[in-house]
Amino acid sequence: MKEVRTLEDLVVRDREHECEGVGPMKVCVRVIAVAELPTRFGRFRIVAFWNNRDEKEHVALVRGDVIGAENVPTRLHSECLTGDAIGSLRCDCRDQLESALEKLGNEPRGLLLYLRQEGRGIGLVNKIRAYALQDKGLDTVEANLALGFRDDERDYAIAAHMISSLNVRSVELMTNNPRKMGALTQHGVKVVRRLPHVIPPNGHNRFYLETKRDRSGHWIDFEGKPHLLEQSDPVVVDGMGEPN
Amino acid sequence: MQEVVIIGAGVAGLSLARALAASGIESLVLDKSRGVGGRAATRRVEGQPVDHGVAFLHGSHPEFLAALDAVDATPLEGWPLRVRGEGRPCQPRAFRKGERRLAFEEGVTAFPKSLARGLDVRRGVRVASLAARRDGVGAVLEDGESVVARNLVLALPLEQALRLLEPLASESGAIRPIASLLSMMTTEPCLTLLAGYPLDATATGEPEWDLFYPSDESVSMLVAHDSSKRREKKWRVLVYQCRSCFSRRHLEADPEVWIPLVLSDASRLFGDWAGRPLWRVPHRWRYSRTDSANTLARPFWLTLENGARIGIGGEVFSPGGGVEGAFLSGLRLAERVVE
Repeated sequence: MKEVRTLEDLVVRDREHECEGVGPMKVCVRVIAVAELPTRFGRFRIVAFWNNRDEKEHVALVRGDVIGAENVPTRLHSECLTGDAIGSLRCDCRDQLESALEKLGNEPRGLLLYLRQEGRGIGLVNKIRAYALQDKGLDTVEANLALGFRDDERDYAIAAHMISSLNVRSVELMTNNPRKMGALTQHGVKVVRRLPHVIPPNGHNRFYLETKRDRSGHWIDFEGKPHLLEQSDPVVVDGMGEPN
Repeated sequence: MQEVVIIGAGVAGLSLARALAASGIESLVLDKSRGVGGRAATRRVEGQPVDHGVAFLHGSHPEFLAALDAVDATPLEGWPLRVRGEGRPCQPRAFRKGERRLAFEEGVTAFPKSLARGLDVRRGVRVASLAARRDGVGAVLEDGESVVARNLVLALPLEQALRLLEPLASESGAIRPIASLLSMMTTEPCLTLLAGYPLDATATGEPEWDLFYPSDESVSMLVAHDSSKRREKKWRVLVYQCRSCFSRRHLEADPEVWIPLVLSDASRLFGDWAGRPLWRVPHRWRYSRTDSANTLARPFWLTLENGARIGIGGEVFSPGGGVEGAFLSGLRLAERVVE
């Protein structure tokens, strides 16, 4: 097989890729398609993946030349239709996504893995049920677990395989949760350091600077709506300091 | 006082009781009907088994497959082998690669019967209501008797579980959000018609399929060629499972209102013979199936203010649902009881 130099070479290489899989679910991914993706945050390339476990089509947004590269700034983002696309204020997903893309757009190289697990695996219907319980003031840990909120073990296994499929040698992980570095390392990704993911304050997220968490650990916004933690990271708005 | 009482001897309740027994914990299982298995049901028509609920079993989880292997009956591996029709299967997962499918010659009920072996199951016992007691939960039976449990599990269709939970929800902050969540979900009804035809193929035009999913028909969503599962048979038997909308519309009606509609649909689908069975037996499943959007990630295990525990399991409480989901929810609950 010829040497892999471009993302397109990965597509050819992966036609025959089949490994024993990563993590307890033994997930295996293949690079399937690559294209240019100019965005309002800068020029990226978009890489589509196939996986052997479900019909979810995960993608990577690639900035610059990451093949064989070291210390690539990397952000993991879980799909959130209501936040990312519609601009919902019940979560902070759009702020987190835009802020990550803005930072990566200013770097020579970078990587954003967009994982298609709505609401951290909860699914859209169950996420809306979780919102409905919140509206009634009835959300509990037990209810959220049953609705499908889970720890991110699976996300990290699939992310690790995506990173290694892109031939990235080592990453700098954009996260506010230091434990997540270990989760990736465990699946064979070299994590050089952590880049705190601090988002700038704006009219919609300013409440983080001014209010406290409620009993169940949610932040309550100015509308009185609690925010579920829909990304695997706690939110850090510039000025509020990092969580313990 | 009982340590564990399980209401519902369907696959979820039985798999829980079995897993508990394997950990040395005794439980008492109560069920309102005469048999076990709930919707994994078989009846006999003059000796010939007919599956009038779940038409076949499918799954991929190792523990579920092991439980199927342990059944002392004749498995029909791969059934349904001949699947026809353009309609969407109610459990699309059933036909995925890597999924094992089977039926039993003696009827699907062989599976729950096998699970129930050696367990303490009291049948024909209907629980009228639940009430919090000093340090447990009381299940008040229809005859007025009361069974008090330290740990009580509801392994029922969610509407029935909800009806029992509601009086407790007004008193318990642990139950209230869960009752509210369950009230957002539904189980679909399914009117079912069992129809017997002569075995003579010249009279019926031998159906060359085991399972048929009608496409744009508004009446039946699934037709099982039940007698293709039986080696010894007296009749050709088709089981018609009606669509949710149709079932809901006619749920409270006299069966003579909807049976002709099912049969005229059948003759359009399969030929005139299908509209003229020798015998027919209607069955009303008020709670039959959940779709995948109506399943949760795991069962509930709640602690009441008095320290008693309430578990809620069933197919709804396992991603994807179905018989395998029911079975797995029982295993998950057992883990939490043992904890």
